[in-house]
Amino acid sequence: MPGVSLKNVKKRYGTTEVIRGVDIDIEPGEFCVFVGPSGCGKSTLLRMIAGLEEISDGEISIDDQRVNEIDPSRRGVAMVFQTYALYPHMTVEQNMGFGLRMNGVPRAEVAARVATAAKILQIEELVSRKPRQLSGGQRQRVAIGRAIVRNPQVFLFDEPLSNLDAELRVATRVEIAKLHRELAGATMVYVTHDQVEAMTLADKIVVLRAGRVEQVGAPMDLYQSPANTFVAGFIGSPKMNFLELAPASEGQHALKDGTTITLAGAGGEPSTLGIRADQLRRVAPDAADIVGEVSVVERLGDSEFAYVRTRWGQEVIARFEGGANIAAGEPIGLALSGRTHFFDRDGKAITGLSLAGSNQ
Amino acid sequence: MAVDALASAPGSRRVWITPGRRMWIVSVVLALICCVWVYPLVWMFSASLKSNGEIFGNTGLIPAQPSFDNYVRAWNEAHISDYFFNTLFVTVGSVVIVTIASAMMGYVLGRRRFPGRAIIFGLLVFTLFVPQGYTIIPVFELLSMLGLSQSLWGLVLATSGGSFVIFVLLFAGYFSQMPNELEEAAKMDGVGFVRTFIFVMLPLSRPIIVTVVVMQTLYAWNDFLLPLVVTLANPAIRTLSVGVYAFRGENFVDWGGMTAASTITILPIVILFLLLQRYFIDGLAGAVKG
Repeated sequence: MPGVSLKNVKKRYGTTEVIRGVDIDIEPGEFCVFVGPSGCGKSTLLRMIAGLEEISDGEISIDDQRVNEIDPSRRGVAMVFQTYALYPHMTVEQNMGFGLRMNGVPRAEVAARVATAAKILQIEELVSRKPRQLSGGQRQRVAIGRAIVRNPQVFLFDEPLSNLDAELRVATRVEIAKLHRELAGATMVYVTHDQVEAMTLADKIVVLRAGRVEQVGAPMDLYQSPANTFVAGFIGSPKMNFLELAPASEGQHALKDGTTITLAGAGGEPSTLGIRADQLRRVAPDAADIVGEVSVVERLGDSEFAYVRTRWGQEVIARFEGGANIAAGEPIGLALSGRTHFFDRDGKAITGLSLAGSNQ
Repeated sequence: MAVDALASAPGSRRVWITPGRRMWIVSVVLALICCVWVYPLVWMFSASLKSNGEIFGNTGLIPAQPSFDNYVRAWNEAHISDYFFNTLFVTVGSVVIVTIASAMMGYVLGRRRFPGRAIIFGLLVFTLFVPQGYTIIPVFELLSMLGLSQSLWGLVLATSGGSFVIFVLLFAGYFSQMPNELEEAAKMDGVGFVRTFIFVMLPLSRPIIVTVVVMQTLYAWNDFLLPLVVTLANPAIRTLSVGVYAFRGENFVDWGGMTAASTITILPIVILFLLLQRYFIDGLAGAVKG
């Protein structure tokens, strides 16, 4: 029994199709994150679940009940907007209780539910303030509180952290994760363009591109076995390095500068090799798969990211432990090691291939 | 010596118009303009305290024997008391009607996309260019057909039409700037269209409401042509502006009574403005900005 289920959902504006047949099942109590670049349709999809956008085709059901034609307020969902959308002329208390009051919930019960939500969010001392007297983070809490008092089955978050500054964003991210644990059983659907938010919060990530689902899975599954180059490049920071491969002699493939690598296994004809920054090892140039010159070094304290310009002009990012003191301008040799990914001509992942060893 | 050093320092010049002096000059010029502006009002008030003979005796602005005879005569004999309450009724009535109706119409025009919206907007704007004189006869006809041509209710209704379009456009402009999320949040809260308007949108449009109330009050209180036409047949429902005009007799003009009546007429408006000027200016600034 899925919490939220989307079946072949489509959305058209006139003749332009922005959601092109999406199938997603979200389990009850699951934290599901829709992630993708801007314009991929993730917010539209969320608004369709909320009932703020009509569904052109397909079916959305919540708790096994088809909700296509059901009014937003009767779907058992509550939404937290990117801009908070608090009513500016009402106090925090009134903001949180507005929906309940308008729907005839007795005054005492409204007060009790607002008090409970305020306690969960630790905003009890703010309840008589107006939104303009609150900081961005506090407004965000009130917006979440307004969702909590409605006691919904499904929480919908539309990029709730993107109006906060970097520090607060991290803090609020943790708060939301805690909240999910506290409200055990509440299904949460969360939209973001930030893959870090997706990785840290989600039980399940849905990667979207141009109105289509690219891959669905647990964060580490997507990280370790991306289904295609788009997911591979989108999930993980820094971005995965992609190296073009050309077939050389039997069982061997050549990088752009002619260096050959040997692959073991079968499964398809790889045209791209993907390797994350932390899987590149520094070796002596004569033993290296990739030889290049360091163009920029980013020192983050616990790690250093070196941007290495290869002989064929591509920039490859490699991660080193903090204190490695890589210098810009230094020639460097890198060996492929650990987990590598292979993709065919269409960008689809080829499983069953791995690096057998390398030589010059 | 220090001054000399300053004056001869490179890049500095002896400036006669310092910011302080500039303010003085501006203040004096504005005060002079203000005197010209205020003089007729002061003259009116001064004349209202004089007898008709003294007014033409040209004795200066300070009355020799100030008396309130003119006020008593105007209030009691010339029915200014009745006219005052007629005007109050028309003003309050039209302000209530106009504020509610223009806010509702502005909300729908500003926030809903429906077929024919552009045409309605176009028609509304077009009516702004039609002078009041052209509409008076049809308006009177309409009131006659409704059987309201000789009642204060009819005058209330007719006065409501005066600047209605401008107020609708003010509201529409303001509402169209409101973020969609507010309405969507209300929708998620299960609050319907009408209650979203009353409890969310209307309270947020307070600057526009104040502007509309003040502007409609001024318009309704001061309007002359429309009440003149509507009250022609029934002097009992005259408003102040028409009542003041009635001091012009066939052979004799009671200047003392007329100036006293005029003073009574403008006093509430001046008081209203003094009380509301801050909101009024805020509202206009808000309307231009948003």
